[in-house]
Amino acid sequence: MSAADDTRAGLARFLAVHWDEDVDVSELGVASAGARRRNVLFEATRAGGESLRLVATIIPNAAIQVMPMEVEASTLRAARAAGAPAPELVAVSEEVEYVGGPLFITRRVDGETIPRRVLRTIDAHPGLGSRVATQCGEALAEIHRVAGDAVHPDLPRQPEPIRMALAGVRQLLDGLLQPSPTFSLALRWLEKHRPPEPDRLTLVHGDFRNGNLIIGEDGLRAVLDWEVAHLGDPMEDAGWLCQRMWRFRNDALEVGGLGSRADLRKGYEAAGGTFDDARFRWWKIMSTLKWGAGLAGQAAAHLDGTVRSVVMAASGRRIAEMEYDLLMLLSPAYRD
Amino acid sequence: MQDRPTAAELLEAIAELLEKQVLPAIQGPLQHQVRVAGNLARILEREARLLPELDASEASLLRGVLGEEDDDRDLADLSRALVRKLDSEDVDAVLERKSHAALLEIVRGKLSIDKPGYDTYDFAEELDA
Repeated sequence: MSAADDTRAGLARFLAVHWDEDVDVSELGVASAGARRRNVLFEATRAGGESLRLVATIIPNAAIQVMPMEVEASTLRAARAAGAPAPELVAVSEEVEYVGGPLFITRRVDGETIPRRVLRTIDAHPGLGSRVATQCGEALAEIHRVAGDAVHPDLPRQPEPIRMALAGVRQLLDGLLQPSPTFSLALRWLEKHRPPEPDRLTLVHGDFRNGNLIIGEDGLRAVLDWEVAHLGDPMEDAGWLCQRMWRFRNDALEVGGLGSRADLRKGYEAAGGTFDDARFRWWKIMSTLKWGAGLAGQAAAHLDGTVRSVVMAASGRRIAEMEYDLLMLLSPAYRD
Repeated sequence: MQDRPTAAELLEAIAELLEKQVLPAIQGPLQHQVRVAGNLARILEREARLLPELDASEASLLRGVLGEEDDDRDLADLSRALVRKLDSEDVDAVLERKSHAALLEIVRGKLSIDKPGYDTYDFAEELDA
């Protein structure tokens, strides 16, 4: 039996137990297969004849799981209940016996997720990019409505998000193979200009960006990849979304190459959020530094043999991009 | 002295092989890796041509910031010395400004090898005063 047949049979067994009826699984396709998780598209036909178009998110190796599936699944539910376009959860299991690892199943949402194809769709439909950026603002405000008492008790909490972000990035910088004066200058600025800790913690998606959005001709359809969600400072999401890395050469459009910050703010405020510019700027610079340190970490993982890969090695030669972005973002502070 | 082709010319030949012949002949996830490898060969081709001059200029910029013109430490040591300084308390606004200006020039040099053109975007619209 092939691996695809194993997955098909495993999904059918799991859903049969879940729904307590016979289930037929067909039309299997792999949407993405990373080292950490695999997304399998399929169709399930229930005993009564009803057909459902679904996606299974599978962690092939439970040992590298970032967050228990039940926690991620409950985050999807909480975000959706607050109005955010999180995929609709169908079932979740920590059991590895069905498809070789923990999994959850959601309703499938059609559309583009690959950034370059997203941007092509945007280009083909005047006004769509600005609409999507506004919808991103709405979705973020909806996510940020979710407070600490509405999430799973095991969802990671950052009681002092500013202090924790600084400590985290300092630790990353201390581990660099080759220290970067630009990163040190950026960390100096971040420490000197640290905003007060936020007065309330909210759900934070943690990786809200072009690449984790499903876009159609009608706009934003869903937000994916909730595995690094946590309770923290809501402006972290806005800063992360707007770093240059996610614009894919559409540099002038700050929100993922899709639209402007004014679009984002309009949606955020219309949906009841409070957009804090100073805090946003701090998190954008923090995000850029964090990603820069992350790229250096990928190169180090290649060099120390953890993951030998030409792609990881090449990340080391992208550090200069993040350094440039940081120096430009910091330039108002150091102008003569 | 090595015989022609130079390092840069050989790397260009490798990039052309990967991009024009290997890429169209393969499928799947390997395509991405080969595209990255081709790009790395292009980076190394530029590095072979540009690095000596850029390294000399970087060392002189770092010496300028550190304020020791006859410093004979190598580039890695100079860079580490600036990191140590910026990580310490011993920094005033003047040194920060001088570091910023020198680092921007150094990074533009690195980008001329790693990603030419990346520094044409100037962030003007998104910088808050």
